[in-house]
Amino acid sequence: MEFAAIQTHGLTRRFGEFTAVDGVTFSVAPGQFFGFLGPNGAGKSTTIKMLTGLLEPSAGTIEILGKPFSASALDLKRQIGVVPEGMALFGRLTAPEYLRFVGRMYGLDRETTNQRTQELLEFMQLANETRKLVTDFSHGMQKKLALAAAVIHGPRVLFLDEPFEGVDAIAAGMLKAMLQGMINRGATIFLTTHVLEIVERLCSHVAIIHQGRLVANGPLEELRAGVASTLPGAQSAQRLTLEEIFLSIVGAGDQQDLSQELSWLA
Amino acid sequence: MARINGARIDNAGMDGAQQALATGGGLLSPLARAQYAALARLRWRVFVNGLRSKLGAFELGARVVAYVMYGILGLGLGAGAGAIAYSLADSQNWQYSPIVFWVVCLIWQVVPIMLASFQEQFDLSSLLRFPVGFRSFFLLYVVFGLSDLSTIIGGLCCFGILVGVTAARPDLFVWTALILAIFAAFNILMVRAVFAWIDRWLSQRKTREILGAIFMVLILSMQLMNPAVWQHGHRASGKRQQQQIQQMLASPWVKTANEVQEWLPPGLAGVALRQAASQQPAPALGSLGVLGLFVVAAGSVLGLRLRAEYHGENLGAAPALKKSAKNSAKAVPVREKTAEREGDWRFGGSGPIAAIIEKEIRSLLRTLPLLYAVGAPLVLVLVISGSFIRGASRGPAPLVAFPLCVFFAQIGFRMLFSNNLGTEGAGIQLYFLSPTPMRTVMLAKNLLHSAVFVVVLVIAGLLATLRLGEPGAVVVAATIAWLLFVLPCNLAVGNIFSLTMPYRINPGRISRQRGSQASTLLSLLLQVGVLAVGALVFELCSIGGMMWLTVPIFLALTVVAVFVWLRILGNSDDIASQHKDLLIATLMKAD
Repeated sequence: MEFAAIQTHGLTRRFGEFTAVDGVTFSVAPGQFFGFLGPNGAGKSTTIKMLTGLLEPSAGTIEILGKPFSASALDLKRQIGVVPEGMALFGRLTAPEYLRFVGRMYGLDRETTNQRTQELLEFMQLANETRKLVTDFSHGMQKKLALAAAVIHGPRVLFLDEPFEGVDAIAAGMLKAMLQGMINRGATIFLTTHVLEIVERLCSHVAIIHQGRLVANGPLEELRAGVASTLPGAQSAQRLTLEEIFLSIVGAGDQQDLSQELSWLA
Repeated sequence: MARINGARIDNAGMDGAQQALATGGGLLSPLARAQYAALARLRWRVFVNGLRSKLGAFELGARVVAYVMYGILGLGLGAGAGAIAYSLADSQNWQYSPIVFWVVCLIWQVVPIMLASFQEQFDLSSLLRFPVGFRSFFLLYVVFGLSDLSTIIGGLCCFGILVGVTAARPDLFVWTALILAIFAAFNILMVRAVFAWIDRWLSQRKTREILGAIFMVLILSMQLMNPAVWQHGHRASGKRQQQQIQQMLASPWVKTANEVQEWLPPGLAGVALRQAASQQPAPALGSLGVLGLFVVAAGSVLGLRLRAEYHGENLGAAPALKKSAKNSAKAVPVREKTAEREGDWRFGGSGPIAAIIEKEIRSLLRTLPLLYAVGAPLVLVLVISGSFIRGASRGPAPLVAFPLCVFFAQIGFRMLFSNNLGTEGAGIQLYFLSPTPMRTVMLAKNLLHSAVFVVVLVIAGLLATLRLGEPGAVVVAATIAWLLFVLPCNLAVGNIFSLTMPYRINPGRISRQRGSQASTLLSLLLQVGVLAVGALVFELCSIGGMMWLTVPIFLALTVVAVFVWLRILGNSDDIASQHKDLLIATLMKAD
């Protein structure tokens, strides 16, 4: 029986009185490109932190590749790659030094680490910046380096928290191609981003979290059909963009009225 | 027109004052004054909010203790300066007054480094998005520094001098106040100019490395300077030593140095005071005028830096040295370049311990505050050994002189041991994401820090030998045994502090660092503890005339300490897991 690449059940995280993530349950099949969306403060980053071991859940369970996942599950950690919110970079290293360090932290041998470091630097167009410290990199370059570090050990499951933020269009296109290639070779990718066009282009499945609760989950086409059926008038599901689906689900439909507010603004 | 929470907002609703603010203006315009008030309030809120800590009530308590300690330190220095000033004024020894001003100046310039972690920091360049004119920006930058510890302590010293001089010579009140005001203005501008420029230089890798090298050369020079000055000072009697001091003061280089210092700000302040006391108002005004020129010069140096920041230069994006066209034409292919750099892989092993050690070496060499912390206490070896030499009028230095001198050299390891994750920044996440247990991370760090500890203490031992003479074999063995005990104690407690009371170290700055008062105080307490244990063992064994017994006692204590260290190391993952949120939130916090 094939197990889910990622499976959560009743995942909850509380910060004192505040519940950031409330009973989230979903499943991501192997080989899926899964988009995890939500407005600011909805609980996306908290969820991804719990899924990657950066934050302990207050309640609920997580399974990665069919095994229970916790921060101490070292074997599972070898099989996942992460670009976390803060990118996890060491500012006082150069890019090759950092990639070699990460490779060794994931248990790669010296030869493989060096070879992959070279390939990744070339692919990410960072090969001419080998003497620059990471702290002196632009935000976009840091993102590319963080992504390179997340894949250097060839993970089966990749978690990406806003990977395209600050990355230029050329690099973004290249990264998308790389991610698509990983999917084609059987990897699973869990992506959170605010750039809905990217999710629309890349992801086959989408989940939407709002105020800590999962409010939608399923294949993109199913979501389209579901939202179309709730809209007044006969609107074709195919015409609905992800942005319209998203706004419809998280209930931000009164935006035209907001334009009348703050009239003192020029 | 719109309503927000029932409030009516439109331009027509502005009263006169608001209109004036909106129109902007000069240095003292309504807008500028409103900005100064807003900044004063901001400074207050930064202070109050700084009392909030994720580390809880213990950290708050430690901060209160630290405030009290620094308060006592400031008042003590002020009272000391006042007493010396009174004594000089009362005995008419005005020729020594520059010394007081030099000491105050030194304290003023050094305190920002020593007590940097005490202060909450705020990057004033963020003010640039507001409509702030350059002169207002400059003034705000200076005014913002008025509540810095260095200014408060320096101000207290100046106040002490004013009170001391006035108590002895009430007729000099106006002169003293005037001299001190200009002297204080110089220090306020100078300290900010120095650190503004240092931070600018540290923002570039090249200059950062050059500055680091200069700094290390300075440290080493200081090591050599002291023995050079006191080369005949070994075992000298009090009388002989006084003669040596007299000889030294009479030497041509001291006379030249004295002539030069009289043209520098602290010297000028002292000279002006002496001239005023001798009823020579015109020369005193002349000295004050030259001192005023130094104020203008310090202001200009600061202004130069601030003008660049005002025009949008971001320290994080300071222009790097341009590569020459020749160099770029000879660009080496990437694969060759990385292959060349394979030589950088200094440890044969591929495992995480070797990786972390290599990474730590690279980070340490590029982190000036840590190098400074580790290197600077070596100066203490000379200071303390000097006091032992002067204290022992005849005969050999006491038995504890050598171990004490070497012990003080390890005080600089406090930051390295007790906050060993402090420079990781966002990289801390990697330790939680990777399949490497935290105990491996801590072990690798402990191994490297132990190696550095050994190197620094060997240097300290050599310096102490140079100053005190060759110690006996038993003393050396006892010292080594004691330090073998001190090391695992530091590692064990340091690992706990690092995981439970972390604070972020900005590797690019020597000034304006954040800190954890609880960690600082507790690690100092640990130093007092191991010092007390050492003193007790040495004392008991020397009373019994069995110094050799110190070695087995310390070795037995070492076994216990190593056992505790290993236990704590084994529990690192649990401790880190319990404090994961705190570690990530604190170390990732932006400066």
